Amino acid sequence: MAERARQGIDDGTPATVTVGRSPAGERPVVLAVRGVEKSFHRGIWPLRREIEVLKGATLEVRADELVGLVGENGSGKSTLMQIIVGLLKRNGGEIDRPARLGYCPQLPMVWEKLTVDEHFELYGRAYGIEEGERERAVVGLLEELQFAKYRGYRIEELSGGTRQKLNLALSLMHDPELLLLDEPYSGFDWETYLRFWEMSERRRDQGMGILIVSHLLAERDRLDRMYELCEGRICRC
Amino acid sequence: MLSLALPTSTAFVREHLRAPLTLVLLIAIPAFFVLIFASVLGEFSKALGGTLASRSAAAISAGWATAFLCGALAFFQVSSSRGADRRLAAAGLGPLRVAVSRILAALAIGLTVSAVAFLTLWLRSGIAHPLHAFAAIFAFAATYIGIGAVIGAFVKGQLEGSLLVVLVFSVDAFSDPQMTSNGLIARTPTQDAANLLVAAGGGQGSPGGDWLGAGAIALAALAVALAAFWTSARTRG
Repeated sequence: MAERARQGIDDGTPATVTVGRSPAGERPVVLAVRGVEKSFHRGIWPLRREIEVLKGATLEVRADELVGLVGENGSGKSTLMQIIVGLLKRNGGEIDRPARLGYCPQLPMVWEKLTVDEHFELYGRAYGIEEGERERAVVGLLEELQFAKYRGYRIEELSGGTRQKLNLALSLMHDPELLLLDEPYSGFDWETYLRFWEMSERRRDQGMGILIVSHLLAERDRLDRMYELCEGRICRC
Repeated sequence: MLSLALPTSTAFVREHLRAPLTLVLLIAIPAFFVLIFASVLGEFSKALGGTLASRSAAAISAGWATAFLCGALAFFQVSSSRGADRRLAAAGLGPLRVAVSRILAALAIGLTVSAVAFLTLWLRSGIAHPLHAFAAIFAFAATYIGIGAVIGAFVKGQLEGSLLVVLVFSVDAFSDPQMTSNGLIARTPTQDAANLLVAAGGGQGSPGGDWLGAGAIALAALAVALAAFWTSARTRG
C-alpha cells in the first residue's frame, strides 16, 4: 500500500488508496489526500492575480502512524491542513478523512474573553460528547499538559505557551481517529515540548493517525514517515 | 438546533459583556446621545432646513445611539471572532448553528442596548407611547445588527470596517428627511423607525405604512445578519 502511494507521488498520478482496513490486514488508512489543488486570488480587478499554492498534493496517513509534513515557508503546509479540516475549499482533488478529527492550528483560534473551561464546554458540545465523558477527558488532558490551575482563567490572561496547551487540548478532547497538528509546540518550554512528543507517541501507539507540520531537523527521528512539500506538490516521502 | 445554539450564544454574549469598556459605552453612548447630542441635533436640523423639534430630537437620538452601538458590536462580533467561529463550526457545530448562536447573541445585546436607550429617553423627557417607542428603538437595533454583520463578513480590516460602519451611520442619520430639506437620498434604512420613534415620543399616532416599513427592514436586516454570520463561519473559498 505504501509502495502504491509512492508511485502516485512520483509519477504525479494520485494513488488509489481507500480509507478503511486494507484487505491485507494492514493498518487502516485514516487520511487519503489525492491530487489536491488550491489557488488564491489576490487584489482587485484589473490587478487581480492568482497564486497557486497546491498543485496536486497527494499523501496518506495510517492509524498508529506519526507522519511529518515539512516544506519551506509558504510551501502550502498550513493551507493543506486547513483544506483537510474543512476550513478552506479546494480547487481540485479528493480527500478521505474520518469524521472524528482533531485539529490544532498554528495560531490558537480562540475567544480572548472566554475562560479555558468555557472553551472545553463549547468544544465538548461541538464534538457531541456527554458532560461526564468531557470532564474525564478534560481532567486527563489538564493533568497531562499540566495547566489545571488555569481552568478558570480567560484566554487574554494566559501566556503564549499555556494558550498553546489549550489549543492542543481542544484538538484531543474527543479522542480523534486522526490528529492534525500545525506546528503545535510554538511557545512550549523544553519540558512541555518533550511531554508533547511523549503524548503524541503514546496516542500513536494506541492507534491514532497523526500528521504534524514540523520544521526542526531534530524531530525527524521521532516521525514514522515524512512528506515534503515543494512548490505545491509532495516532492519527497 | 436551539439546544446547541442557546448555550453557545450565551457564551458569545459573555464574551462581549466581559469587556469593561463595552459595558461603560452601553450606558455612556445612549446618555450622551439623548442628554447632550439631541439638543445640538435640533439646532443642526434647523440649519440644514429640517423640521426636527427638540422633543423629537431627543427621541430620535435614542434610536441612533442604539443603531451606532448595535452596528459596531455586530461588526466586532464577526470581525474579532472569525477564526475561532470557523474552527468551532469545523469541529462539528456547523456554520448554521454558529450563525444562529451569533444572531441570538446579537439580539440579546440589541435588546439590552435598546432597553438602556429607552430608559435614558424615558428619564429625560418621558414617552407618550412607551411600547411604540421601544419597538421603534429595537427596529434601529435590528437594522444595524444587519449592517454591522454584513460589513464584518466582507471587510477584514478592523479599522476599515469600523470606519465603514460609522460612514453608513452618518449618511443614514444625517440624510433622514426630518434632518434636512435636501432630499438627495430618497430613503434611508431607519427612516420608518425614526418616524415611529418621533411619533411615539410626541404622543402622535403612527401610520401603518411606517410600522410595515420598519418591521420589513428589521426582519430583512436580521436575515442578512444571519447570512453574514453563516458566511464568516463556513468553509472559505
